[in-house]
Amino acid sequence: MEEKEITVNIKKYNEKDGAFWKSYKLSVDKYTQMTEVLRRIKSEQDPSLAYRASCHMAVCGSCSMKINGIPSLACRTMALQSADEKNELNVESMDYYPGVRDLITDIDVFYDKIYQVMPRLIPDDSIVSGEGEQRMTPEDQTEVWKFQECIYCGLCVSACPSVKEDEKFLGPAAHAKGFRFVDDDRDTKKQERLDLLMDSAFRCTSCYMCYEVCPQDVQPVIAIKKTRNYLDDYKGDTPVTIMARKHDDAVEDLIETTGKIKESSLYLKTFGFGEAMKDAVNMFKSGKFKYAFEKDSNVKNMEEIKKLMGEKK
Amino acid sequence: MKVAYYPGCASHGIAKDVDIATQLIAKDLDLELMEVDDWNCCGGGIMDDKSEPVHTSLNLRNLEKVEKMGYDKMATPCSVCLHSHKMAVDKYENDPVLKEDVDQRLQNANMEEYDNGVESEHFIWVLIRDVGIENIKKHVKRPLKDIKVGTYYGCQLLRPSNVMGFESAFNPHSVMDLVAATGATPIAFPMKSACCGFPLMGSNPTVALKMANNILSSAKDNGSEMLVHPCSLCHLQLDVTQTKIQKQFKQDWNLPALYITQLIGLSFGYSPKELGLAKMSTEYLKARGIS
Repeated sequence: MEEKEITVNIKKYNEKDGAFWKSYKLSVDKYTQMTEVLRRIKSEQDPSLAYRASCHMAVCGSCSMKINGIPSLACRTMALQSADEKNELNVESMDYYPGVRDLITDIDVFYDKIYQVMPRLIPDDSIVSGEGEQRMTPEDQTEVWKFQECIYCGLCVSACPSVKEDEKFLGPAAHAKGFRFVDDDRDTKKQERLDLLMDSAFRCTSCYMCYEVCPQDVQPVIAIKKTRNYLDDYKGDTPVTIMARKHDDAVEDLIETTGKIKESSLYLKTFGFGEAMKDAVNMFKSGKFKYAFEKDSNVKNMEEIKKLMGEKK
Repeated sequence: MKVAYYPGCASHGIAKDVDIATQLIAKDLDLELMEVDDWNCCGGGIMDDKSEPVHTSLNLRNLEKVEKMGYDKMATPCSVCLHSHKMAVDKYENDPVLKEDVDQRLQNANMEEYDNGVESEHFIWVLIRDVGIENIKKHVKRPLKDIKVGTYYGCQLLRPSNVMGFESAFNPHSVMDLVAATGATPIAFPMKSACCGFPLMGSNPTVALKMANNILSSAKDNGSEMLVHPCSLCHLQLDVTQTKIQKQFKQDWNLPALYITQLIGLSFGYSPKELGLAKMSTEYLKARGIS
């Protein structure tokens, strides 16, 4: 097997010295995983290197880190494939979590968020006593399947921009786990679960970073969107869900009646006259007021729109 | 070359200048933008929360219109509209339960089952893939020399990359390549593909403004004098809303934010006024001798 020499730059960290970069050279072939690279650096060049890795097959979720800036599992990353044109790689610990040493971070905050969503099935008493039987249709199982595939690697939370800015946001992994039980008919705590999840669901900015970095294709943002789908009948409103409801209902109403969004109408319906006036002043200051009342024509064939938006036959 | 064109609600409304600049440069580049017949709002980011079948059906209606016009490609200047159409097709093709519901809705509206005959593309993909960077360079009459332009991608143009499919979600270079073609100096910055926060402006504006501020600060800290972006909704967040951001974060600096075709239009010789530029950009460019 042909081997090539690569340079691995690792951002090391310890409490005494802070963060610093150290470079290592070693030869690898095209099948060498980054976990193997790290193992060899530790055993052959630098016993002080600290990192986590266990299964080497994307099951345990231990070896999360940033490789060339990309939140990745080291075991799923092939060294040569990821190296740049100079055969160099930069390896850092995950963002967001406090550093412990080198590539190891403290992900307690990740687990705390998971615990907050009651991450276990709470079935009817008859099931617990063994008198009843738990059943689930294949369709219902398909609906929640991917949301239970989380391996708790922490990558989605480390890469999430909303988590960093909003401590009330539960984060992608907890939402996927939480929704997995909301949509499971065997569970008995749907309302309590929605009370835990609904406000937080509208704190997600739908940037699809979690969808991108998840090694298990859990698609947490889709779970968040499916949770928002329960808003229509939800009674436990918070300031965040009230605004979301106003805005989203206004969008739906505009599409139902005109086929398009007219921003000035949307703004008035969502924020009211007072707030709209404040922003009109901002628009005036920015020289954009002339576009405030730009309106496109309505969709001509509204019959089609109504039929598409109506109930299926 | 003729391309079906989906402007999206924002660029025919409050972000009208996005459409103005896009139309101007398309004309120069011999791109005939054929507006999609009787198009409807894609509902991106909202209708997919409310009802996936309704969202998918609305997006497939637009693509069916394009197919009837005889085109196999639909270009849009808005990353959210792009994302919405591409995600709708992806779900329709991969979720049989959803497909069944959507097909019944299409049938109710006397439309045919969607056969994936139309590809949704961002307008900048058409610029790069069909027009070509070298061709764009030939139209540059006023190279924007020495202007350092922060190149911002945002989120929905890039992610999820297995659905969007044009470039790497972590190492994109489309906007940089286009900025370089204008003669300006493209600046990459750490927050280039973070979200601008616009989707949160309805439900959680305080955090939304923090996110926008992160983008602007990251671009500024890395030496940008201006910022370009590829999305009608980022345009609202990073341009008009900047006055709010300055107030919330007590900042004494600003960063003019342009839509990418506005920057290209400047290099083609159009004036800031012709391109519908906002006050902040116009004043900055005037100070740099560009009017």
